Amino acid sequence: MKLLRAVVVTCFFLMAILPLVWLALTSVKTYEDTISAHAKFIPWTGAGSLGQSDAESARFAPTLDAYRNLSKRVAGTPNNFYYYLENSIIIGVLSTLAAVCLGTICAYGFSRFRIPGSKDWLFFILSTRFLPPLAVVVPVLVMYRWFSLENTHLGLILLYTSFNLSLAVWLMKGFVDEIPRAFEEAALVDGYSRLRTFVRIIVPEASTGMAVTGVFCLISSWNEFGFAMTLNNYEAKTVPVYFAGLQGNIEGVPWPQIAAGMMLFVAPIVLFTVLVRRHLLRGVTFGTIKQ
Amino acid sequence: MSSHQGRVRVRAASSALMGWGFVSPALLLLLAMNLFPLIFNVYLSFTNADLSGGAVKMVGTHNYTVLFSEARYANALTLTALFVLVSVSVELVLGFVLAMAMRDHIPGKPIILTLLLIPMMLCPVVLSLFWNLILNGNYGVLNQLLAFLHLPQPQWLTDDDLKLVSILLVDVWMWTPFMMLISLAGLNAIPKYIYEAAEIDRAGRWMVFRTITLPMCAPLLGLAVLLRATDALKQFDLVMAITGPNDASTQTLSARIYQVVFRDYKVGLGSAYGVVILVAVIAVATIFVRYIDNLSRRQGKVERSVP
Repeated sequence: MKLLRAVVVTCFFLMAILPLVWLALTSVKTYEDTISAHAKFIPWTGAGSLGQSDAESARFAPTLDAYRNLSKRVAGTPNNFYYYLENSIIIGVLSTLAAVCLGTICAYGFSRFRIPGSKDWLFFILSTRFLPPLAVVVPVLVMYRWFSLENTHLGLILLYTSFNLSLAVWLMKGFVDEIPRAFEEAALVDGYSRLRTFVRIIVPEASTGMAVTGVFCLISSWNEFGFAMTLNNYEAKTVPVYFAGLQGNIEGVPWPQIAAGMMLFVAPIVLFTVLVRRHLLRGVTFGTIKQ
Repeated sequence: MSSHQGRVRVRAASSALMGWGFVSPALLLLLAMNLFPLIFNVYLSFTNADLSGGAVKMVGTHNYTVLFSEARYANALTLTALFVLVSVSVELVLGFVLAMAMRDHIPGKPIILTLLLIPMMLCPVVLSLFWNLILNGNYGVLNQLLAFLHLPQPQWLTDDDLKLVSILLVDVWMWTPFMMLISLAGLNAIPKYIYEAAEIDRAGRWMVFRTITLPMCAPLLGLAVLLRATDALKQFDLVMAITGPNDASTQTLSARIYQVVFRDYKVGLGSAYGVVILVAVIAVATIFVRYIDNLSRRQGKVERSVP
């Protein structure tokens, strides 16, 4: 039984991780090595020949050229990778800040005040998460044409803020509920106003929760594709849309550059995942399961 | 006495007002960016709107007549349902098996767990674009591995029968760990004494699994299934990355909307498709919301019953 369990875990672990290892290896190859009919999986820095006949060897000479080439434009695209990365950062960071601020304020309201129909409102907020981007993209597009928000950073920021609110409110409500009321009651007795109590007492107490919520909001803005593809296919194009556009490139898909760009693009998210690993369960279930 | 009561009432009213002050900015944004487009979408589905911005005319149920007569509509509906059914059930079974294997102590468990969860946090469209390189029929590393094992090497990305399988493969790769994470939480929540009691009663392994483990995990598994199902219902990213939006063998409802609106410029018809997918999503989401409500009430009871 123990052996069986070890085999199952090992198999799943290899399946989960090997495609990512392949991504990392691809990013340090030359174009010829990425599409070789003999898979190259051993980076070999030893001098001279790669052994056997070079073409059939599993060894390859690693190179950082793909990373250097990221600052060059790929044929048929108007900008280099970093231009789109900057868009992703601007849109991701600003929409995250907005969602966490609004979400925390809203969660505090639901946590501490008797609001008529509060349960219905909370479930309304939760249900907005399920709205498929493609089902509302047409009206959003028409709305954005009225306000000239199409192809702007602000357009996507507004949209991502509202789509992250469900997550932010539900996660933050869990965190705010856990803060003992005695703290703020003491402050209110001391003559603090509600707003001052919120800023001075609740925000510092909820800061861990806000950071965790921020990470989850950032990840979902960072990874979003449906809206970015349809509303923003030009000036404020984000990295996922840029990569999707490189498919079927006239000069062949530049796999090493794509892999290198992908490595830079997913690296912060890997780091964040490791940082919030204790809160992952809470994050992916909207705070309904707390551990 | 009465003046005291009056003061209390005034304070309660002002406190409710202040509560609205805290919650209204978020609610207003949601009403403007989520609820309004939804209603507007229903309106557009009865018009002949197009993206070039010509005069908009009401056309009655014309778009729906066209929609229901399209072969692509039935196709997209079937494919979406099939995708939801297969992806969610495969991920559930595999995730649960993995959780059972991860349940007790294994060396390096926290690190293994974290690494397993990385794929589901990364960008789906970016990862599936990269899977195109792995799945490529001629130089892809998967087929080279299959050749090494003397197994058949199918054309994953060009064979019409296999395109959907490839998309499912990537989805299962990304989301099985999600099912494992929630299953593991369910397994960990089962109190040890129940198993000890079963041991005293000399219940067999299968009996214990069937009467204790599975039923006690079921509520959380239900939650996981609903979360994944609402996500799978809007499947768009993987389809775009692996086959593009207009492949009859993989065209989900979302991909169909993209094709109709952004390639064929039929906004009215696209909105009608939007209404169809909204009906499906609202149905699943309603079940989901009720489910969470029940679950949290039950959890509350458990927490209260623990001294």
